[in-house]
Amino acid sequence: MSAPTLSSRKATTPGPGHSRPARRDSAREDFLRAVRRNISAHGFLIGAVLCFSLFSWYPMVREFILAFQKTEDGKTTWAGWSNLTYVFNDPAFWQAWRNTLLFTVLALLLGFVVPFVVAVVLNEFRHGQGYLRLLVYLPVMLPPVASVLLFKYFYDPGYGLFNRILDVFHLPAQQWLQDTDTAMLSVVIAATWMNMGGATLIYLAALQGIPGELYEAAELDGAGLLRKVWHVTIPQTRLILSLLLLMQVIATMQVFTEPFLLTNGAGPEGSTTTVVYLIYQYAFNFNNYGSAAALGLVLLVVLAGFSAVYVRLSRSSED
Amino acid sequence: MASNTLVSRRGSDVRKSARRRAGRGADVGRQRTLISPAQLGRPRGKAFYWIVFTLVIILFTVAFLGPLYWMVTGGLKTTQEVVQSPPTAFPSSLHTENYSQAWTVMDLSKLLFNTLYYAFGALAFQLVFDVAAAYSLSKLRPVFGKVILGMMLATLMIPATVLVVPQYLTVLDVPVFQRNLVNSPWVIWLPSVTNAFNIFLLKRFFDSIPRELLDAASIDGASPLRTLRSIVLPISRPILGVVSIFAVVGVWKDFLWPMLTLPDPSKQTLNVGIYSLASGVPENVLIAALTIASIPTLLIFLLFQRNIMSGLTAGGLKG
Amino acid sequence: MRSAGLRRTRRISRASAAALVTALALTSLASCGTSSSKDDDTNSASKGSSDPSAPLDPKAKVTISIDCMPPAAKAAELREWNEDIKTFNKTYPNVTINGKSTPGQCNEPPRFTAMLKGKSQPDVFYAYFSDLQQVLDNDGAEDISAYVTDKTVPALKDIQTQVVDVARKDGKLYGLPTSNYTMGLMINRKLFTEAGLDPNKPPATWDDVRTAAKKIADLGKGISGYGEYSAGNNGGWHFAATQFGLGGDVVDASGKKAAFNDANGKQVLQQLHDMRWEDDSMGKTQLLKWGDLQKQIASDKLGMFLAAPDDIAYMVQQLGAKYETFGLGPIPGAEGTLFGGNNYLIKKGSSPDQIKAGIAWLNFKNLTVGKGQFDWARTKADQLPVGLPQPNFFLGESKTKDDAARAANATMPVENFKAFMDNPVPGKAEPPKAQEIYKILDNAMSGVLTNEDANIDKLLSTAEQQVNQVLANQ
Repeated sequence: MSAPTLSSRKATTPGPGHSRPARRDSAREDFLRAVRRNISAHGFLIGAVLCFSLFSWYPMVREFILAFQKTEDGKTTWAGWSNLTYVFNDPAFWQAWRNTLLFTVLALLLGFVVPFVVAVVLNEFRHGQGYLRLLVYLPVMLPPVASVLLFKYFYDPGYGLFNRILDVFHLPAQQWLQDTDTAMLSVVIAATWMNMGGATLIYLAALQGIPGELYEAAELDGAGLLRKVWHVTIPQTRLILSLLLLMQVIATMQVFTEPFLLTNGAGPEGSTTTVVYLIYQYAFNFNNYGSAAALGLVLLVVLAGFSAVYVRLSRSSED
Repeated sequence: MASNTLVSRRGSDVRKSARRRAGRGADVGRQRTLISPAQLGRPRGKAFYWIVFTLVIILFTVAFLGPLYWMVTGGLKTTQEVVQSPPTAFPSSLHTENYSQAWTVMDLSKLLFNTLYYAFGALAFQLVFDVAAAYSLSKLRPVFGKVILGMMLATLMIPATVLVVPQYLTVLDVPVFQRNLVNSPWVIWLPSVTNAFNIFLLKRFFDSIPRELLDAASIDGASPLRTLRSIVLPISRPILGVVSIFAVVGVWKDFLWPMLTLPDPSKQTLNVGIYSLASGVPENVLIAALTIASIPTLLIFLLFQRNIMSGLTAGGLKG
Repeated sequence: MRSAGLRRTRRISRASAAALVTALALTSLASCGTSSSKDDDTNSASKGSSDPSAPLDPKAKVTISIDCMPPAAKAAELREWNEDIKTFNKTYPNVTINGKSTPGQCNEPPRFTAMLKGKSQPDVFYAYFSDLQQVLDNDGAEDISAYVTDKTVPALKDIQTQVVDVARKDGKLYGLPTSNYTMGLMINRKLFTEAGLDPNKPPATWDDVRTAAKKIADLGKGISGYGEYSAGNNGGWHFAATQFGLGGDVVDASGKKAAFNDANGKQVLQQLHDMRWEDDSMGKTQLLKWGDLQKQIASDKLGMFLAAPDDIAYMVQQLGAKYETFGLGPIPGAEGTLFGGNNYLIKKGSSPDQIKAGIAWLNFKNLTVGKGQFDWARTKADQLPVGLPQPNFFLGESKTKDDAARAANATMPVENFKAFMDNPVPGKAEPPKAQEIYKILDNAMSGVLTNEDANIDKLLSTAEQQVNQVLANQ
């Protein structure tokens, strides 16, 4: 029988210390018990807390410090605001923001709407749902390098499959990744194909939680298909939709693998250079960790602002 | 767009949908959905249903299995045939040697082994540390527990790639321990523990375990560790399954982090290894390599399809 | 929070339940030590002679690690590598050489940067000529000036000073060269003949290149006349080469200002734009990087591109091409050409014996006529390429001997490189911060190659602004 066992039993029984007559003694004992309980509780926590401290919390602090430092010839010195001015004066900075916003908007249009529509349609099927779910989720299980390089072949303007398909329908061939106008869209299409499986399954689960009576009631009111979707399906899955939206925005803002593999990151005339890619470029191409951290800080501030506003908005609309 | 993102809203929607379900009472048989059964029962409705159904089945099969077919057959073609326009639907002659060449030239066995080693190591670490932490936060109620949980969850709001630079500098020289983790498996395993989302999922599940169950155990004199092992873990099988999938898939799909921290070619993961070799081998061999790289996860997925899918949807909802 | 946690952990020995988990946590972190790669520089057994100019004492027991060993896929080269180690060990039986192989390119700039930052480079590490400043910024290499003498590297006086001096900064020497190249125009002789062009007279001006490219592209079947990179820093690299060929510059003499936003720079982009969009002779697929054009020309889909001679060896060995396919001419314009290459540097913190062993090995493997990489008879016997114009950095007597051995063992039609050999173009070193500048110029290159309406003036001025910023930030 070990000490923490006793203490945890004590802690969970109501009215601690009731069997002891002397009040000072019992207070001391309570305190000791609390200490023992905490020793065991923190013992369970320590592995995760250490890892978080070292690899998550400390780097966060370090991001702030780095943003105001520079390293030359192996010596690190304070740099004041120079890293931030460097970032703001870089013509690529604004381009990267434009690209990131474009990516986010496109990714939301495709990556948010497509899985929802797919889920709504799949949910109506009385047959083959298992097969269809399996298909949609299949790409999620592929190694990203495989999916992305596959799309790179399909997008090739010379022998690529996509232009071949367009040709069959007598549509003009596209330059896909090779054109400043379509490069980002092409990246988003590939990313959507790769990742929509997860979102679709979530939506399906949410759709199955919608009480059937609501649809019946809407039908009694004479609502058509679209109005049922608008007045029943969407409001009923609103919480999932809005949380997914937030997560999608945060996830798309940090997209790296897809543009990096599809267009070597920069893309035609830098048209797929995202903020995160620019961070990577500063750090690992330019060996300029200070500016990379400064840009990371800017992105952090923007995302934090976005999350705060978003949470406030969705909270007020909930009440 | 990580798979993590997808389920988070599930977690917080749990209560709502649970309430909804409870409110609906016993729901027998297939649930009522958007389109009314009566409408579908009519001949026109039936015809419409089957037309849409067939179209969707064909479309999805082409969209999701088509690329895989292209990949498998592409690996059997000659270089000239792969880049030929129009593409051939079936290889004019079978070149299975591409696969054996890909296997040896790209040293795929080593890359596969590395990836599995990192993935299951990360899984082990997460199962030990994250489960212990979640259990402690949920049931042992340590001092500062709320603060610690809050600080952990805060990391969810910060995109991982933003912190990649300070994190990278941290693993080069881990504070206190003074270690350089680059090129060692620890650089994958330890940071993988900082998975706040998995801790969150686990904690929510543990929260739902009735107190009385644990109290009974502790009155019987079981230590917290024994309670965890013999009571909590057995009932937590579904959520442990979900968390395991996330842990393995997370490592399997990661790209930027292993690319930076495992520069030694003999220690690289599948994604990074194939990426860095892609330009050095003929196209058909590269496609063959992509096929081989896709097989392990696809096999796992197809074998455990039922568990994974239900784990992802139902398991997540219960959690 | 951490210190509080640790203070508690000391008391925890009494709390047996929690102790188990804690112990697990701590041992796991402590055992990181066993896999740590920080202290593996093995500063051991440095009891050899303390005089840096004295050659390595054969009795000294040293271990050195070195990268860019040939990968298993290059079986013949790997065999030669191992043979060389055996021969080397006859003289220095106590030196252990741990080779590390890289299946792809030995040096990818972002990986190299990360490696320097992490100080995870091997004791003797491979770098591009243009990497020195970056290595020194990270305090990554030893000054080996005192170690490199006529005794330790006998052929030193016969090596082109330009090739040695790239590894020199402020009078200190940091590395030894292994290979050098100057960029020329690689042509596919087969396609030249098919298009009715003379494969023995590669185009010498850009106007000629354009005419030839158009004729080759007219062959159809997805064949392009001229190919160019525009990604992975390679676009900028070739921009610099083309600019040098026209007599232009990338960075001015002070090393502080971009110098490419001029008539030459405009011409570079304009002619690429015109070939891509007016003549449609450059193919539709762009955003190419190193390796892509090689694949195209090796499968007879490309007529010409700018390349270093050693690409031929790569294409024959790895892409299954034939030597007869390729011809080489001087860079169009021929005012100057980008010269570059690779050298090996020695990691900061290596012991004097490690430095000596490293230099001894590099001397044997890479800098001795008739030995190591210059053992042409063996190279021929192993069916590897002999007869390429480069690497070739010897002068005087060493050059005469080496050239004779090359000619005697040639495995390829050397006359196909006549135009390149007979018209040597003065080499021009890469600019400071080369990889950063190349990265920026990638965008200008991809701009004209992917956008028909690209604004060349704007592309150049944006790149100029970014390059100036990078240069000011050193």
